[in-house]
Amino acid sequence: MSEPASGVIHDIGYRHYDGPRLGSWYATRALFVYSLRAAFGFGRTARAKIMPFGLATVMLLPAVVSIAMMALLKERGMPYPGFFVYMQAILSIFVASQSPALVAPDLRHRVLPLYLSRPVGVPQYAGAKLAAMTLAVFLVIGVPLTLVYAGELLIDLEGPPQTGEYLAALTTGLCLALLLSAFGLTIASLTPRRGLGVASVIAVYLLLLAVSGVLVGTFESIGSGTAAAWSYLINPFFLLDAVRVALFGGESASGQYPDGPGPVLLTAALVALGVAALFLRYRKAAAK
Amino acid sequence: MNATVAGITYRAVLGRRRILLLVLLPLALLGLALLLRLVGSADERTAVLLMQKFVIGTMLPLLGLIAGTGVIAPEIDDGTVIHLLSKPISRPVIAVTKFAVAASLLVLFAAVPTYLAAWILIRTESGVAPGFALGALVAGIAYSAVFLFLGVVTKHAVAIGVVYALVWEGLVGSLVPGARKFSIQQWAQTIADQLATSPFVETDVTLGFAVPALVIVTVGAVLLTGRRLRAFSLTGED
Repeated sequence: MSEPASGVIHDIGYRHYDGPRLGSWYATRALFVYSLRAAFGFGRTARAKIMPFGLATVMLLPAVVSIAMMALLKERGMPYPGFFVYMQAILSIFVASQSPALVAPDLRHRVLPLYLSRPVGVPQYAGAKLAAMTLAVFLVIGVPLTLVYAGELLIDLEGPPQTGEYLAALTTGLCLALLLSAFGLTIASLTPRRGLGVASVIAVYLLLLAVSGVLVGTFESIGSGTAAAWSYLINPFFLLDAVRVALFGGESASGQYPDGPGPVLLTAALVALGVAALFLRYRKAAAK
Repeated sequence: MNATVAGITYRAVLGRRRILLLVLLPLALLGLALLLRLVGSADERTAVLLMQKFVIGTMLPLLGLIAGTGVIAPEIDDGTVIHLLSKPISRPVIAVTKFAVAASLLVLFAAVPTYLAAWILIRTESGVAPGFALGALVAGIAYSAVFLFLGVVTKHAVAIGVVYALVWEGLVGSLVPGARKFSIQQWAQTIADQLATSPFVETDVTLGFAVPALVIVTVGAVLLTGRRLRAFSLTGED
């Protein structure tokens, strides 16, 4: 037997990749775009699109009615600041039904190690999911607001356009989207089952809604105004409305909120807590 | 009824994280009741408010959703339902068994805590506790049947159930009076009103409508579940 040339056994003729390496940032951006598409059911079956698009359409209805009122009756319909408070049921269903769509399949099919063996780390993975969900929720809030604002500019009502109110609603809407997405994704990522994820997220929202409602009713009936004011803030939608009142002024969409920087600090703490919980959850999920 | 199927279902529902959700809501209810009692506002109005907002409006649909879909939807989701359906057990019997398990869970996690919470607040004053416990019982049974059926019809059962409970019973029901006639929550209030003599309980639906409606919905949903399981096809993911 003759001696084989060294290295022949290993060189079986595959070509090496010598194109550009796009790196971690590119992979994270791709994951972000993919997750954003998943939030609206793009790239999935038609049945997966019914829920997000149905809810987004319902969110547009008040805007359409509002534009019609401005055009035909020359009066303002829906106020910008109260928009997400009135539509809170629809928004929370959107967060509940779509958060598992972003996180459940990867956990269920155990592909997280495949992602993490690429230049995408846990912070990038969780960050991309969080950013995608936040943008999705923000679009659902912001597009109707923007439509109404555009309508207001075109129809030329009496008085100056409510640019301040519009921007205040958009800013708090973005904070709300971040808060809802952080907690929605964290809760949904606790289970690989989509159905249970939907139920968990909506259960937490309904729990907060009902606890807040019962406590406000009780404290108001016994005349404890401060306690009632703080009880509103148990509901995340009223919390962000209180933030808007504290930062930008204007009318409250419901009752009296606590004065001072309390709501703002509480929101900042909750957002930090939600984001930290999501990152910790994924660090643990990645270790499995 | 099939004892083995029932046992497996109990283990599947109670042995996983699902039980945390089933326990969380009744615990929150009892916690709220205790808190209200300690704050010293445990009057009849508060009790009825807690019962209507928390028990009927929040806890019942959610527990019905979690238990009703939980007894069958996960099995369909991961395809293990095929092992159950390939056994020589009549499909309607499987449906009835699953329904019985879900209904018993709702009795335990919804009706009993409801009675306890009302009892903590105002004892048995003007029949609020037994009234709403009975209302929670029948509505819980109806919800578990409806959501069981939803669980075998679609993979998006939970999301659709949430839309029904929140949008139809919550939003539409509060704006369109006619929609209230077709709402399990309103039927539950009608039943509760029969035992409760409190003036704070108001109902829109008559007993003559609510009772047949509850029976028809419950029996109909279980029968349809059995029919659906008889010709069941497993479809692909999403």
